[in-house]
Amino acid sequence: MSARITTKNELTITIDGKVCHGIQGDTILQIARANSIYIPTMCYLTKVQPIASCRMCVVNVEGVDGMILSCQEKAVDGAVITTHNEALYKERQNIMKLYNVNHPLECGVCDKSGECDLQNKTMEFAVASQSFTARDMHRPVENWGFISYDPALCIMCEKCVHVCNEVVGDNILAISVGGYKSTIINTRPGEECSSCGECMSVCPVGALVSTDFKYTSNAWELQKIPSSCAHCSSACSLSYEVKHSGIGNHEKKIYRVTNNYEFTSLCGAGRFGYDFANTGAKRDRALFTSAVEALKKAEVIRFGATITNEEASILQHIKESYGTALVCDEARGYQKFLEAYSSVSGKSLYSGSLKNLSKSRGIIVLGSKINDDNPMVKYHITMASRRERARVVYMHPIEDAAMQSIVTQFIKYEAGSEEGAAALLAKTLIDTKKVPSEIAAYLDDLDIGNLSAESNIGEDELEKLSKSLIKKSGFTLVAGSDLYNHPRAESIAKLLAAIELYGDFELILVPPATNALGVSLICDLDEDKDGYSVGYNAPGDFVLSAMGSGDIDMPALNQQEGTLTSVDKRVVPINAALAYDGYTLNNLACGLGVEAKYTIDYTEHLPVVKGYEAVAFDDLPDYFDASGNEHRGYLLHSLDAEQTGTLEEVADLPTYDGGVVYQCNSGNQFTSFTNKSKKLGTDDKLRGSQQFATLSKLNDGQKVRFEINGVVYERVFMIDTSMKGTIAINPYADMGLSSTTVSYYRFNQPKLEVMDS
Amino acid sequence: MSQVVFSTWGGEFIDNRGKSSEEWGQSAFKLPETYTADRRSKAFIGWDGVAIFQEDVDAVRLATEYAAQYQVYSEACGRCAPGRWGGRILYDLLDKIARGEGTHEDVAHLREVSQTMMLTSKCEIGKTVPKPILDLMEHYKEEFETCINSKKPSKHYGQEIDYIAKVTAPCTDMCPAHVDIPAYIEGVRDMLFGDSLAATRQTMPLAHTCGRVCPHPCEDACRRTNLDEPIAIMELKRLGADYETDHSMGWFHPYQPKPLRNDGKKVAIIGAGPAGLTAAYYLALEGIQVDIFEELPVLGGEVAVGVPEYRMPIDKYNKDIELVTSMEAVTVYTNHRVDAERLKEIDAEYDATLLAFGTRLSKKVYAENERADMEGYWGAIAMLDKVNLWSKYGIGSPASNELAGKTVVCVGGGFTSMDVVRCSVREGAKKVYMLYRRDEKTIIANTTYEEYHEAVEEGVEFIFYSAVERIYDEDNKLTKLLVNKFELVPDPNGGRAQLVKIEGGDIEIDCDYLIPAVSQAADLQILPKDWNLELTSWNTLLTNGKDYMTSRPGLFAAGDCEYGPMTIVNAVGQAKRAASVIGRYIYEGKVSLTDDEIMEDHLQKLKVYNKKEKITGWMPGIARANSEKLGVDERIDNNKEVNLGFTGEEALAEAERCMRCYYISMVAV
Repeated sequence: MSARITTKNELTITIDGKVCHGIQGDTILQIARANSIYIPTMCYLTKVQPIASCRMCVVNVEGVDGMILSCQEKAVDGAVITTHNEALYKERQNIMKLYNVNHPLECGVCDKSGECDLQNKTMEFAVASQSFTARDMHRPVENWGFISYDPALCIMCEKCVHVCNEVVGDNILAISVGGYKSTIINTRPGEECSSCGECMSVCPVGALVSTDFKYTSNAWELQKIPSSCAHCSSACSLSYEVKHSGIGNHEKKIYRVTNNYEFTSLCGAGRFGYDFANTGAKRDRALFTSAVEALKKAEVIRFGATITNEEASILQHIKESYGTALVCDEARGYQKFLEAYSSVSGKSLYSGSLKNLSKSRGIIVLGSKINDDNPMVKYHITMASRRERARVVYMHPIEDAAMQSIVTQFIKYEAGSEEGAAALLAKTLIDTKKVPSEIAAYLDDLDIGNLSAESNIGEDELEKLSKSLIKKSGFTLVAGSDLYNHPRAESIAKLLAAIELYGDFELILVPPATNALGVSLICDLDEDKDGYSVGYNAPGDFVLSAMGSGDIDMPALNQQEGTLTSVDKRVVPINAALAYDGYTLNNLACGLGVEAKYTIDYTEHLPVVKGYEAVAFDDLPDYFDASGNEHRGYLLHSLDAEQTGTLEEVADLPTYDGGVVYQCNSGNQFTSFTNKSKKLGTDDKLRGSQQFATLSKLNDGQKVRFEINGVVYERVFMIDTSMKGTIAINPYADMGLSSTTVSYYRFNQPKLEVMDS
Repeated sequence: MSQVVFSTWGGEFIDNRGKSSEEWGQSAFKLPETYTADRRSKAFIGWDGVAIFQEDVDAVRLATEYAAQYQVYSEACGRCAPGRWGGRILYDLLDKIARGEGTHEDVAHLREVSQTMMLTSKCEIGKTVPKPILDLMEHYKEEFETCINSKKPSKHYGQEIDYIAKVTAPCTDMCPAHVDIPAYIEGVRDMLFGDSLAATRQTMPLAHTCGRVCPHPCEDACRRTNLDEPIAIMELKRLGADYETDHSMGWFHPYQPKPLRNDGKKVAIIGAGPAGLTAAYYLALEGIQVDIFEELPVLGGEVAVGVPEYRMPIDKYNKDIELVTSMEAVTVYTNHRVDAERLKEIDAEYDATLLAFGTRLSKKVYAENERADMEGYWGAIAMLDKVNLWSKYGIGSPASNELAGKTVVCVGGGFTSMDVVRCSVREGAKKVYMLYRRDEKTIIANTTYEEYHEAVEEGVEFIFYSAVERIYDEDNKLTKLLVNKFELVPDPNGGRAQLVKIEGGDIEIDCDYLIPAVSQAADLQILPKDWNLELTSWNTLLTNGKDYMTSRPGLFAAGDCEYGPMTIVNAVGQAKRAASVIGRYIYEGKVSLTDDEIMEDHLQKLKVYNKKEKITGWMPGIARANSEKLGVDERIDNNKEVNLGFTGEEALAEAERCMRCYYISMVAV
């Protein structure tokens, strides 16, 4: 008997003589892996539901006849399990023999060779000859965008289909069932695939490979540099895989990005948009001096939020020493939003996390085109939708066709009416009987009829929303970039805090740029002002640029060490995949007398008062354990804040008549760094519905000029038949330095001027 | 009992080869000895063995063809390594032997691959296909040896023989609508809810409805019961239907509906209940024009006006109805009462007519002084019509006008009576009694455990072993009942126990309403007298229960008006079959069944589920998932749906318990 106290949820089983603990609902395989007991599998993928196609994981259970599928079968308290014996070995060996029937003997040229599960298990089970045969058949290779599919190599494990449906939510790959003839099919080849490459990453054999990477390198020649993705605030775990560029060129090059696909995912930008390094930078003493001089005389340092926490810390130190104003358009609105949020919630950080989001039973998305703004957040919503049957209420002025299979209720509100929408949500989600009297009074005083009319959110829609969330716990509210620079941002922040506090919702405030959260916490940001300015990845009189377009070069985020602060409130490390010979911000700071030997010396001095830990860069862990628990950097601490804020009266809502332009990057584009990546292509069209075209008197293919927040755009207009309504979408990631100057509300009504063709 | 030459079916072993006819042993199973009246079967082979009916059968070819059927049907599976490759190898090797090219090594490989399939396959098809093949290899060994040793094809290789196969499952077989249950559960497991729904709709258009209010006979034939508890088959059906409704993704049809044929052929359906809607759907999928005539102002039949909102929300049922009415080929006429005259007109105008008007006459309880015109005497159908027309459609007036504060006695024991008492509670009755002739166990068997317990929780008082002897009234207003009590007395001779009245055990119940819900009858006034239609002894339309044509050519009947008051799923099953027959009848002028339907009937006779079978290869003791229900206080005074359905986590856990008990059976003719 175990001396351990067991609750009703806990159970104990014996695996190969070892006493193992688990909880109700754990599968035998999960418990085995958590206890470092090996059971071979070919189709098991931790991050999706058991697929159960390979049957390799069969085990014996005492008192139960036959072989039990350990990946899917749940552990029952007291079970005694054997994972290895002669009979099990024989069946597993036979399965490997079957997998090898007609598998082309082309390992010599196969990309997967060296990291192939089929190779590994064929060796492990000593399948040296082929005793089973079947008539072979012709199976042509198919090309699907970034990926090519070779059905002859496919073992039909179905991992790709599961991630496409269960994690990404595209639901594009499917099984064409037909026994021996079965293949994976692309049900909607072309535009609807989000080109994330998740299917390829989980493929255990060479069936799904990157068209681009194909035949460029053997797997074992590549060096893996573990890091975090630099493209959005999810800062996903990844590895850059590098080797020399060619026979005559020994400079290292990134050949591909891989990830710990067993537990984590990547979007297409993370996986394919790795070629954004600032190459060719050199050290030029004179340039260095002029950069230091520029910084010395600068009244303003204007910067983008795609920098590390350490760089943010250096900038803050410069401010403290020189009184320079720090202006970060990508983070300032968010910083103020967080402050207003804290004034009501009493906490420095929002409560939600991606993991809990994926386990939510009810999700509301407000103020974000989340599929484009942050694919990883969308993946987690997908998981909740598929596995938890989550009710997903998507509130936005633009209906997103890509979210249809996930969203259970679309609530369209008028552009500009976000404050009203937030107030209506608060009214719907908060039970006034259970809150302080002033909150109850505030909610009771809301003029629902007026708010409803102005925002165009029907009371019946709110009733449907509230009905769909009945008697279920586990709710998350996801708020995004439309809100942070809204004229009424602070009022909205307080309303969301109230929903979190009194409505039993977890809240995620999706940071609007890669390290917007880190910058918000580390830097004391200022409003923009006139005077001599230095721009860091932003416009200025003197420009430091990691894009290679400024007065002096800076390293891109795949060329330096440091940390990022993610949407998950996690401080994660990045490492230099490629060499960089130019100056770093730390070098310039040293020139200013802000001294540190290395940029990463700042890691352990990140502000503890903001929730950071005093941990040195080299002490940051960066791995996932056998059960998939993340040990990557550390989680920020949420600190208590003073609850001085009060809910504000909803302001008269502005109305937008006529065509509206929404600032939104799409198609794996986030920043000028993704725009720089050749593999991702460019998103540079103004896209709108037929209705928008009619309203704005535009024809498909016409070139238009317009100005938003001082930036002039010249765009080809394209009618997008998947879109509805009067709002067009305008990308800005291709606008170079000015793409980081997003201090304004995302919906605008610029004058659209048709240009001569 | 079947006449066989040889059989290993169901674990029996009968080998009559070379024996004189007096010595012949018989099979204990109802095997398909004759395929159809005019066609004798040569052999039957399936998941549980093989039976040979004629001496001259080619065993090698039979085994090969069975393996070939596994290839043909592999779209039903082919989702695991042993099944996919193993099935192919099995066939290739057998065919090699059958065509005279096999070796003894091939036999060894056959045995080895069979072993791996039986031990590790994902579904029962892969696990069971090798069994009869191995039986043949063992008991007809000499035929295999001959092929190998003499390098000659087997004796009937290449000859024209019909091999007719069917994939089934115990649950599918037991389901009156033969829903492909493992397929829709697999859709849930794969989180491909659209696929799940399309699988359900192959034979069951009313997915919302039968995901909620089906008495799920399938669960009594769930093999998982042999291991621990049956799968919650019914509730898993809801996920596909909810997915379609929640995401407004258009209709998930089992196949792309065929374009309207516009060839002048048309079918009339009398009644828009489950049977009428089902037949209309399957005819419309084939592009055949259908007109439905419905007496009531609303569509849906008894499920609309009988089954209460708290069990079957009308917005969900309306989705099932909309699926049918959205079909181009379907036209609906409501408020259209068909009487005998009108039926004659329709019969003359249409190429075929399906009667699906149900049973809407409440039967009497046969008590003294029972009069329909007595105030307080209220037939269950009329009472539920009033409740539902008001609560779902705002037609009429609330039944609480009559029932609030009153004492209600219902006599029944089936689903309708449960609806009566629980609706009475919701309409504000002060006290509600249910009188039932039998015991608690029987009422649960006739309804469901949940129905009974929820009614008890809501305060309904059940009086078992009781019957109304006399109804009292004052000025034609019902005042009280004299109720006899009975006890079950076992037959000392071992026969059926008898209900015997307890002398002196009578009770009196003061009440305002007596609602008889003992059973319903078909309203036969619709049938023209001069047609002289044949009826069953319980006054429903007589058909042969296979093709659903009445004694009048071109006139079909399905659902309660054919079977008598029965379940929704029964009506759906009958109507689906009738639609199939009608679809051929209007072109060929005669009734016929497809091979699939003939096999379906054979298998039903043979019985697919074996409750004594020992299950291997699955972990026992994994509890059935329970969905969240509204508490008594949350539901007692309103019409909110009581069962909130599975959470995703519960649904997936439940789907993973399904053992995918697909089987292939095949007849050689």
